[in-house]
Amino acid sequence: MKRTMIVLSIVIVLSMILGACVQPTAAPTAAPVVEPTAAPVVEPTAAPVVEPTVAPTEAPAPTEAPVAEVKAGDTVLPRKETLYFNGQQWGSVVGWNPYSSSNNNAMAIAAQDSARVIMFETPYIYNMMDGKQYPLLADGDLVWNDAGTEITFKIKAAAKWNDGTPVTADDVAYTWASHIKYNTQFGAAGKPYIENIEAVDPATVVVKAKLGDDGKPVNSMIVQAYLSSNYVIQKAWTETLEARIGAETEKFLTDPAEDVAYSGPYGKFFADDSKVVYIRNDNYWGQDASMWGKLPAPKYLAHIIYKDNAAGTTALQAGEVDVSQQFNSNVQDFWLKDNLPISTYLPEPPYGIGASLPTAFFNLAVPGLDQVAVRKAIALAVDYDTIIANAMTNQSATFTQVPRSLMNPTPGEQALYDHEAVKDLQWAGNDIEGAKKLLDDAGIVDTNGDGNREYNGKELAFQALCPNGWSDWQAAMEVVAAAGAKIGINITTNFPEWAVYQTVVTNWPLQEGYDIFMMWSDGAGPTQPWSRTQHLMHSMFAETTNNWNGNYGGYKNPAADALIDEIPTIDDPEKIKANYTELVKIYLTDVPSFTLMYRPQSFHTVNESVWTNFPHEGDGTDPAVPPLDLTDGYSIAGLYNLTLVNP
Amino acid sequence: MKGYWKYFRKKLLWLLITTIFAFVLNFLLPTLMPGDPVAGIVSRLAQGMSTSTGVKEIYENYAEQFGINKPIIEQFFIYVRNVFRGEFGVSFTQYPRPVSDIIKSAVTWTIALQLPAIIVGWILGNTLGAVAAYRKGPFDKALLPLSILISNFPAFGMAVILLVIFAVRLRWFPTSGGYGFDMIPTLSWGFVASVLHHYVLPFLSIVLITIGGQAIGMRSMAIYELNADYVKYSRFMGIKDNQIVKYVFRNAMLPQLTGLALSIGTMVGGSIVAETIFSYPGLGTTILSAIKGQDYPLVSAVTLIITIMVLIVNFLVEVFYGFVDPRIRATQAE
Repeated sequence: MKRTMIVLSIVIVLSMILGACVQPTAAPTAAPVVEPTAAPVVEPTAAPVVEPTVAPTEAPAPTEAPVAEVKAGDTVLPRKETLYFNGQQWGSVVGWNPYSSSNNNAMAIAAQDSARVIMFETPYIYNMMDGKQYPLLADGDLVWNDAGTEITFKIKAAAKWNDGTPVTADDVAYTWASHIKYNTQFGAAGKPYIENIEAVDPATVVVKAKLGDDGKPVNSMIVQAYLSSNYVIQKAWTETLEARIGAETEKFLTDPAEDVAYSGPYGKFFADDSKVVYIRNDNYWGQDASMWGKLPAPKYLAHIIYKDNAAGTTALQAGEVDVSQQFNSNVQDFWLKDNLPISTYLPEPPYGIGASLPTAFFNLAVPGLDQVAVRKAIALAVDYDTIIANAMTNQSATFTQVPRSLMNPTPGEQALYDHEAVKDLQWAGNDIEGAKKLLDDAGIVDTNGDGNREYNGKELAFQALCPNGWSDWQAAMEVVAAAGAKIGINITTNFPEWAVYQTVVTNWPLQEGYDIFMMWSDGAGPTQPWSRTQHLMHSMFAETTNNWNGNYGGYKNPAADALIDEIPTIDDPEKIKANYTELVKIYLTDVPSFTLMYRPQSFHTVNESVWTNFPHEGDGTDPAVPPLDLTDGYSIAGLYNLTLVNP
Repeated sequence: MKGYWKYFRKKLLWLLITTIFAFVLNFLLPTLMPGDPVAGIVSRLAQGMSTSTGVKEIYENYAEQFGINKPIIEQFFIYVRNVFRGEFGVSFTQYPRPVSDIIKSAVTWTIALQLPAIIVGWILGNTLGAVAAYRKGPFDKALLPLSILISNFPAFGMAVILLVIFAVRLRWFPTSGGYGFDMIPTLSWGFVASVLHHYVLPFLSIVLITIGGQAIGMRSMAIYELNADYVKYSRFMGIKDNQIVKYVFRNAMLPQLTGLALSIGTMVGGSIVAETIFSYPGLGTTILSAIKGQDYPLVSAVTLIITIMVLIVNFLVEVFYGFVDPRIRATQAE
């Protein structure tokens, strides 16, 4: 009996070990060869030709197709031709469909303010360093007509899809029409502001803004932003997709789109549960003199799927990651203590460029928090330096360096309000005496001698919340709670699971106990800081359900609404500045919410063991390449500047 | 044999009843979690939108597609229909990937890591335990405390210690992944070597802990059996030592077999720690993120797999008991 058991077990063990070795090739998404006619890579004697371009049915693949230097058999990505990332892709890639942004293919698809343009491209690309939109597929700068009602732009003559066919104005128009027809999130977001996008001739696109009663665009900023945040998708491929889905229109967004055409420099090479790899299209149109004039340096872009930050950090230290888009705490230790060739955009704190403002919102429906004095006192008492030192390990500018307003720390946004005019309203925190005085003056004092203040006879006691596991936010909320204790307000922390948390804060009325809670605010983009201001203060989001926009605490101020609504219609920069200054005054006076720290748009830590010449402050690029991981918006320019440490 | 059939039928009936209950609970429990799964998807889409109407439209669109706005009983019948078709619907967190596809690609990794580790750990642990009980002396004195120490290590602690010592400090093994970070899977020696190289630490982290626990259990069971009357009686009868050891082992193994069956049944959940710490692909982390993201279809599918595995393995063990242990047949025959 015993012997049989042991023999049986050994057989099972051996079979399992064998199974482990064979499995990855069986993975459904594991086929490393994208060209359907290419010889499978598993065949050791097969010619190692890997055709990076996904040939559509009607067009033959270009004859001078690049030959990937990946040997069949031991298929190892050559280290000196591969740029490794972390912090962007956290699960196996589910598809390649650019119409769907619920698609988690993070390296390839992120249609956002600084759109990720390695595979799909936008007409313009946004540079958060100077706030400008630079032409990519478009030829020439972005200009409005004299009436300010439409934008006309040309498509670059050199622009081509990976199948060799030219990118046309028809593609741009058809993309928009499809967004509307299938009600994608991009269509839903743009519809209230864009009347139509039309092709005048094969090379010319006209974007018509939706006009208000006054004959002016409802919001010209959003129309303009569309052009740097939405991909141009090939009409021919879209039609193929439509033919494939037939009447099942909901599949338009869920189709995995393995055959999608793209105009960007990289396409699919390989994806499984462990990694995703993109290969350069050596026929990429952008090597034309009218765009970059050359190909991007790395042949492959690879992203290993790490299960958590710690695994990603270990790999970065080991030199298995070149560009890290994840929060590495005490990032300076890499070079100061461990002597690793790792660096950030700035050599000193805050190490990166802050772009978004993680914010604590007050639930204004809670008795006590409906009082400005209470809100402002809490905000005054919070020790922001501790938050920045502990939660962010100094990877945020302090409020002494960049005084609080509605703006992020980028120079473009900082120039948009009058610093002198609001100076007296700004606070840097840890002002316990000031906070106490504010409460005393408002008559909110401790009447029963228990050390805690009362308002209308009730003890002031609140909960401070943020999602569980978001450690930097949790640390920040602990500091808020500590501030309460110092000024006689009882604040306790509570960290619900994100799944529950987000459901509550986005649906008014908020559940009991959601008194002070954290949410993010907008980062950098062509509609900023307007959009951020609107999301923080506009009453259109107050007391609504399904609200993922902002103003979660229910703040209403008609004066602020009017100022915000007016900004997109103003041409005079001085008047715009005056409006923003007034809004900052209102925000810092009423304190419906308050910024806890500055956070970079993307973390951007690089290991220079293999590649060097990454974007860093004073790198001499003009316009400056932003530290957005060489994938987002204008930061893609950084891929063309990379060089090898040991060529 | 008549008694055995009666026993078998009874067990089969119980299996069916438990399966039905488990099936209903499997559907019901995840949907009772607080929070709204569609909110998670929509929150990703809503960023950058400037009006609330557009967001609402998208929300309703998805709610309709996932059927979460339908009455729960209707949702249940849709679920039943899907399961019988071998479909589990579309994952919420990895939308629009089908659940079956996610499971298919993850499950092989989990089984390949867990099954050999559990079996090797079980065999080694039981052998060591039995030997310690039989030989006593210094071997037993050394083994027992060591086993207690190792088996009480939290699984993550063992994994982290192995990771730090052998991967980070000594660099003998890689820190993460199922195969080389710079490799593309192919059927080649280089790739197989890479898979095995990456396999060692996660495998050891499970085996070491299993050995400790099994050895302790087997040792005390064997000591108990060695002092049993039938052993003394056999000795008086002059039966050979070898034969007695066989009796003892067979009796002591019964509870250990149940333990083995249960750990095989629950191996999906058991692999979470090793998979997370070594960034190893597999079902463990899949279910963890599915629970966090309230991915009902994925959670239901994985828990259904676990439930069915536990039930089947338990059933098989009980059937097997009937064969191994005549006492069980005897009670049924009465």
